[in-house]
Amino acid sequence: MRLSALLSLAARPKLPKGYRHGTWRPGTAAERLRNPPGQRRKKIFVEPISREDWKVFRGDTVQVLFGKDSGKQGMVTQVVRARNWVVVEGLNTHYRYVNRDAKYSSTYIASEAPLLLNQISLVDPEDRKPTEVDWRYTEEGERVRVSLRTGRIIPLPLRQRRDGIVPEQWIDGPKDTSVDDALDKTYTPSLKTFEEEIMDAMGIVETRRAKKSYWY
Amino acid sequence: MAAARAVAALGRRLEGALRLSGARPGLVAAGLPGLMQNLCHRILAQAEPLCHARFLHTTLPQKGLEEFFDDPKNWGEKTVKSGDAWNIKQLRAKSSQDLHKLWYVLLKEKNMLLTLEQESKRQQKPMPSPERLEKVQKSMKNIDLVVREREIALRLLQTGHEKPVPGEWRNDFLGRTYWYSYKEWPIPWYLNKKYQKRKFYYLPHVNRFIRLRLEKYLRLRNRRQNLEKKKRKLLEKKFPHLAVKSQSQ
Repeated sequence: MRLSALLSLAARPKLPKGYRHGTWRPGTAAERLRNPPGQRRKKIFVEPISREDWKVFRGDTVQVLFGKDSGKQGMVTQVVRARNWVVVEGLNTHYRYVNRDAKYSSTYIASEAPLLLNQISLVDPEDRKPTEVDWRYTEEGERVRVSLRTGRIIPLPLRQRRDGIVPEQWIDGPKDTSVDDALDKTYTPSLKTFEEEIMDAMGIVETRRAKKSYWY
Repeated sequence: MAAARAVAALGRRLEGALRLSGARPGLVAAGLPGLMQNLCHRILAQAEPLCHARFLHTTLPQKGLEEFFDDPKNWGEKTVKSGDAWNIKQLRAKSSQDLHKLWYVLLKEKNMLLTLEQESKRQQKPMPSPERLEKVQKSMKNIDLVVREREIALRLLQTGHEKPVPGEWRNDFLGRTYWYSYKEWPIPWYLNKKYQKRKFYYLPHVNRFIRLRLEKYLRLRNRRQNLEKKKRKLLEKKFPHLAVKSQSQ
């Protein structure tokens, strides 16, 4: 466990110091256009919220409390944790022109502006009214969001995969392993190393003796 | 929800060969140069129809080189469906033989995908479903991790050491202390001229520089700590409730 955790921490790509996050994903062409490598912008102070305390996820229904569309509810389409931003579908919109060409005069579309976390409130699933939410543990030990006003559990939204595959509807291809084979437990702990076990299984007998070597 | 996801039908990268016992027969021979030259012409000729007509080749299947290419049904497709990569949790439950076989299956798949990638670069066309390569690489990395974890666990049990190679803290000629890991040599240290030339000690004139280095390190550390304090104060000024929370804690 320790080794894999260590290596996964080291693998994340590093963003430049003083990087200002926008609504674009780092690595896309739009982000590279608007955040070129030498750019320095004024620092924006963001209230630090730890990873465990974060309550709003993509797919959640939230109510907007401030701004043009205050009082309306919508689904969260994007979350930018670095700036405590939440983009709600169809709310807090401004209008702009896109896709301008030499021949085509652009399309007029509505684009949503991000909202801060304190301008948003999670909504109780049955009441459909805004509530304060806290993280609590159930009797089974599962960590869930509980609305403080009513005490009901707010379930986590269904996490859709980025490649659009729905696991329930998946049909295995010729090169795919079936679920049973993949989850089949064949490991028996033993005091032999990986190499020794393979040698035993393949019937390889090592009769050569290693020459004396010195370690220093 | 996690259980449902685990049980749900997610595909994996594994050929039917894994379920059968025994090694695969007849892999490509190490290759006499004459044969390879003949075959190279055929490969280059047959590689053309990547994006159009199917080509039936007769000599390649004998030599086993068809494994460098995808199933002929997928030739010319823009996208090829593929399942998820192998998870570490799933691999931890597999025996050594299974992991060994899976490694080679994944290796062959990786070779096939790399051939495909190179060919699409040559034909200046987009590679169909490049995420397959990432999935295979991720699975192979996970297998490597699992094997290393098991090795470390066994070593800890038997010897109490985590690292495979022993070592010790040594000084270099500049007075710095670093972890020196032992190397394997065929001759003892007193006969090793290359090793004797290395200096693992420092002379007294270096002490002044050690002190200067220490002062530099302390200065940088203090600057970093002061910067963190200043940032925290500024944040507390902007968001007063943070100051209240830190006081209550």
